[in-house]
Amino acid sequence: MSTAPSPVPAGVGRGPDAAAGPAEQGARRSRARTRRSARRGAGAACAALMTPFFLLLVLVFLLPVGVAVWLSFFGDDQPELGFGPERTVFTGLRSYRAVLTDPTFLRGLGTTALYCLVHLPLMVVLSLALALLLDSGAARLRRTAQLALFLPHAVPGIIAAVIWLYLYTPGLSPVIGLLDSAGVRVDLLGVDTVLPSVVNIALWSNLGYNVVIFYAALQAVPREVTEAALVDGAGPVRTALLVKVPLVRGSAVMVVLFTLIWSLQLFTEPMLLSQASPVVGARWTPNMYIYDAAFTRNNYGLAAAASVVLLAVTVALSYAVGRWSTRGARPGGPGRTGEGGPR
Amino acid sequence: MHRRRAPRRPGPADDAARTGRTPRTRPRRHRHRPRPRPCPRPLIAVLALLPLLLATACAGGGAGTARAGEGRVRITFWSALRGSQQVVDAYNRSQRRVHVDFEQVPSGQQGGYAKLSNAARAGNAPDVATIEYPQVPGFAIDGVARDLTPLLGERLRARLLPQALALTTFEGRTFSVPLDVEPMVFLYRRDLFAAHHIAVPRTWAQFERAAREVRRAAPGSRIATFPTDGGHHLAGLAWQAGARWFDTAGGTWSVSMTDRPTRKVAAYWQRLIDRGLVFLNPVDTQAGSAQIGRGEVFGKLTAAWDAGGMMAAQPGQHGKWGVAPLPQWDPHRPRLGVMGGSTFAVTKDSAHPRAAMDFIEWQVSSPDSLRARLSSGVSSQYPAVTDLVPVARKAMDTRYFAGQDIYALFRREAGLISRRWTWGPRMTATLRTVQDGLARAGDGDGTVWTALREGERATMPDLEALGLDARRVVR
Repeated sequence: MSTAPSPVPAGVGRGPDAAAGPAEQGARRSRARTRRSARRGAGAACAALMTPFFLLLVLVFLLPVGVAVWLSFFGDDQPELGFGPERTVFTGLRSYRAVLTDPTFLRGLGTTALYCLVHLPLMVVLSLALALLLDSGAARLRRTAQLALFLPHAVPGIIAAVIWLYLYTPGLSPVIGLLDSAGVRVDLLGVDTVLPSVVNIALWSNLGYNVVIFYAALQAVPREVTEAALVDGAGPVRTALLVKVPLVRGSAVMVVLFTLIWSLQLFTEPMLLSQASPVVGARWTPNMYIYDAAFTRNNYGLAAAASVVLLAVTVALSYAVGRWSTRGARPGGPGRTGEGGPR
Repeated sequence: MHRRRAPRRPGPADDAARTGRTPRTRPRRHRHRPRPRPCPRPLIAVLALLPLLLATACAGGGAGTARAGEGRVRITFWSALRGSQQVVDAYNRSQRRVHVDFEQVPSGQQGGYAKLSNAARAGNAPDVATIEYPQVPGFAIDGVARDLTPLLGERLRARLLPQALALTTFEGRTFSVPLDVEPMVFLYRRDLFAAHHIAVPRTWAQFERAAREVRRAAPGSRIATFPTDGGHHLAGLAWQAGARWFDTAGGTWSVSMTDRPTRKVAAYWQRLIDRGLVFLNPVDTQAGSAQIGRGEVFGKLTAAWDAGGMMAAQPGQHGKWGVAPLPQWDPHRPRLGVMGGSTFAVTKDSAHPRAAMDFIEWQVSSPDSLRARLSSGVSSQYPAVTDLVPVARKAMDTRYFAGQDIYALFRREAGLISRRWTWGPRMTATLRTVQDGLARAGDGDGTVWTALREGERATMPDLEALGLDARRVVR
């Protein structure tokens, strides 16, 4: 969706020399020509290298979005009761009206909003805290810890969901069995507990990935800055919170953005949990609603309209996060210093 | 799957960081960079996307249906029903004109209906498909099921239970042929009712009293479970009370899932739930089955087919069960709803609709077909062709029910099935939404009534988005 890599402006520089002395004109011209041809060569290389990207951008992103928008305005209609012959007609905003008046879709959006409210802060704070710990050097076995944190991310979402489903299901789960024998009764798939359960799966899967992002950014923090903080008498906690954290602001924005987009597209985990827990309905999240509209209700127009609505929400929220992140950042301010590769 | 595409792009973290999605920062950063540098990024994207592309390329293709005939017409048949293979084998042996290729498909809710819809969309649906009653109008509207009116002979029509045929007929056109139709009944623990001297209830008022007596006599037990996974169950109860969730009069789909009879049923069950007179949990689960196995429920409100289901699920309770008519609202004007049953449709894609119809006719009306089906295991289905009832009755070993003549009871009850009911155009979704609401109610969030209301509210946009003439009616 909106997460496909953005097109990169070719960034061809402006024309050269405004004025030139007559004596050097010939030499300059030839130099300019070589430069121009070199530039042309670079441009061709760039074009050759970028064509596949644009091709794929069109094929896997723009085209599907276009088709979805197109589909959302059409329907296979039959008059009255619907038992007559089908014909494809332009339906205007009908499917959008249906999606937006469907209480199950709105409930799904609400569920996702709640999910984001719980998941986003937890994810950012936890991954940043872990990255700071790793960066501080306080942690022993740093590499092992990093690997252990990152490993769950290598597990496909569906497998992760199966593993956790096993741990959540009463009668199967050793954890619930242990708690039960200790006299603690928990229903991890209940109406109030299933959302935290899904958040837990997502945290487990993606925490390590975000820790790596933060850790890389922290490694790029200039040592002079932390040393200066040390000289000024700041302890490790103060240095972490007041010096390092502001410097990795850019990474934080990125983590928020990725996690947000990931959360809005929540599908695999609840889809699997819906097999085990009746309180996770077939339309628990907007993405599940889309799936249900297309494959249970056989209404591609409706599914397309719901997809476009979800896309619009995603784009709007991503834009809002972008605005929010640049609002506080002064040009050349700390927001940019933190970015950069690991050393 | 596709959500993993970009956010999880396996690039070095710094590259991802530089991609920085904020519209402001991106151009600013590029100005500081030498020109050729941007190129690697799309390359990484290309590499990241390649597996996806390959995956989509592999997803294509599908099974076609062979309709080659060496003098013999070949038709294909999809069903999730047990015993279908035996039926097909018997049919193929019984004559030489038509050969049926059978494919066992998952049950409708497990993906069978999605498979059928997709096949029809791709133009390779089987000649004959199995569809349950609630889904018949949906498949008819989607143009999957063919209008069978010209193919359906008078003889077969006359042999079918009229109430069953009415459920597959819209605007005078029949879209599928019923195999079985399942009147609701009350399965009860003969031994437990007798041990506690509780009379088997004949009316819903008596049922409520009996429920109280059961709880008093055995505090850990209840008279029955109100299933939170039972959209069909609730529909059947509303059907009995005279509800009409859908109505096609006047060429319009009138939706009224909260009409007066339904409100009566919802209020009745909510009262029993609130007073703790029934269990409230899913029944089609291991836990639900264990509840019966432990003898915690004295009875089950279900339909004729489930007598056989009980025999298979609880062999240990041999001889302890009985079948009673479903309690009535008004014993002087008894009425009944249906819960379950299947029909056979010929699809639009079929090249041999007449042969397909011959096969269907044999399947639903021949004693040999029923015997072949029953040879695969115990079943207490109630045939929609009423003159097959003696065949089914003969095959049934009623010792499980202490020798009770259950088919005689089924037959009486089938005659009481109310004809006011019509299923709606998107019943899988409608019932699922009701069930989602019931499941939440089971966890203390909502009531039977709110589940029905939400089901109705979620159905309306669906019907409108299909371009149907639909309106919500308050009755």
